[in-house]
Amino acid sequence: MPTSALVTATAESIINKLLSLDEDSETRLKALAGARLTAFISPLPYGITLSFSDRVDVLSEQGSFEDAVAALGPKDCCIKTSLQTLPELKETSQLTRLIQQKALFLEGELNVAQQVSALFQQLDIDIEELLAQKTNDVIAHQTVKTVKTVHEKSMSALASMAKVFGNAVVEEKQLAAHKLAVMHFSDEVNALRDRADSADARLRRLEEKLK
Amino acid sequence: MSDNQTPATQADSAIDNATEHTTHFGFKQVDKGQKASLVANVFDSVAAKYDVMNDLMSMGVHRLWKRFTIDCSGVRAGNKVLDIAGGTGDLTAKFSRLVGPTGRVTLADINLSMLKVGRDKLRDRGLVSNIDYVQADAEALPFPDNHFDVVTMAFGLRNVTEKQNALNSIFRVLKPGGRLLVLEFSKPTSEQLSKLYDMYSFHILPKMGQLVANDAESYQYLAESIRMHPDQETLKDMFEQAGFEQCDYQNLTGGIVALHRGYKF
Repeated sequence: MPTSALVTATAESIINKLLSLDEDSETRLKALAGARLTAFISPLPYGITLSFSDRVDVLSEQGSFEDAVAALGPKDCCIKTSLQTLPELKETSQLTRLIQQKALFLEGELNVAQQVSALFQQLDIDIEELLAQKTNDVIAHQTVKTVKTVHEKSMSALASMAKVFGNAVVEEKQLAAHKLAVMHFSDEVNALRDRADSADARLRRLEEKLK
Repeated sequence: MSDNQTPATQADSAIDNATEHTTHFGFKQVDKGQKASLVANVFDSVAAKYDVMNDLMSMGVHRLWKRFTIDCSGVRAGNKVLDIAGGTGDLTAKFSRLVGPTGRVTLADINLSMLKVGRDKLRDRGLVSNIDYVQADAEALPFPDNHFDVVTMAFGLRNVTEKQNALNSIFRVLKPGGRLLVLEFSKPTSEQLSKLYDMYSFHILPKMGQLVANDAESYQYLAESIRMHPDQETLKDMFEQAGFEQCDYQNLTGGIVALHRGYKF
């Protein structure tokens, strides 16, 4: 079974379902009609193409990045990057830096990539409304409220755990005595040694007198 | 199928008994002129339940095979695509969106019943603006030379009487630089899978056909026609004989199905 086809079929179903849940996405999708965004993201073994019409078709790209670039149309964009770099693409101000660092290769229409990013980032799905259609308003409201509370509490717990852990890692541990304390201790040992030496000298003098 | 003969030996004996004027229809030998109408009867009979049966028989995997074919097609906006033996329009639906308003998809099928089912299905989905429907014989395509960017044929070639004529005809209508993709049942690559597949095709498939489409015979023909279809290497040679270049194939699901690809330069 071609696994790439299974992956693209699943992705296509999810993307179109999510877009259908936000009425405003239709306008953003219309602006992209006829455009294509192809992304080669290592370590994925093949590229993924999003082709836009009144919906999104997801295809696997069996050729190389260079093949895809050679076949670029006027409303197409092709990018090559890695999974680690992907989150940094959210910041458009970082694009030049990433291109210079060769962490991102971008060919074709940059606008298409930006519009695709906006299409997904601006998704606004009213989960409470959707749930209310299946259950009723009260259950939907309570469920969403509970989920939100649990989410907020978990996030806050996670944040404080992260803070404690972070402090514990960063905080300087006194595994050895401070330099000043060592010097003070050393001075005191020296003074004690001097006193012991003088006591010893005094004892010897007394012994000689007694003889 | 007789009890003491395996599908493989029956297929071999059908090939041995072939003459210049006859061809195979499943494991039977028939006059070449008769095959088209016999195949037409099969598809007239199964057209209404074709999609349901495809999903049932392949457990939905035929959708992935077709999707993979589209992935390999390299179709772009503005392209002209010919989907031969397009039947109920699975490939055409996707191609229609991919080529966009500036492109065109032609759904061709020799069988009018299948074409009607496909046309109704696509129209119900709102796909109307860039699709043409043509009742056409793959052996004599009614299109100008060098006309299409991509030609696909999914699960259709094995029903054609003279397969080489069909490949020659497709080569003629393809533009230079265009590609042909043939998705078709083929020969499993492992012996165990082959035995399992034989058992499924000759014992379970006809019963399924009887139960769902009330037609066991058509599904018996399906199983037999698959065994009579050329294997991967033979079909690749036929591509080359038609003039295609850079021909290759990819086995899918252990060779139960193979996707052949060839270019016209």
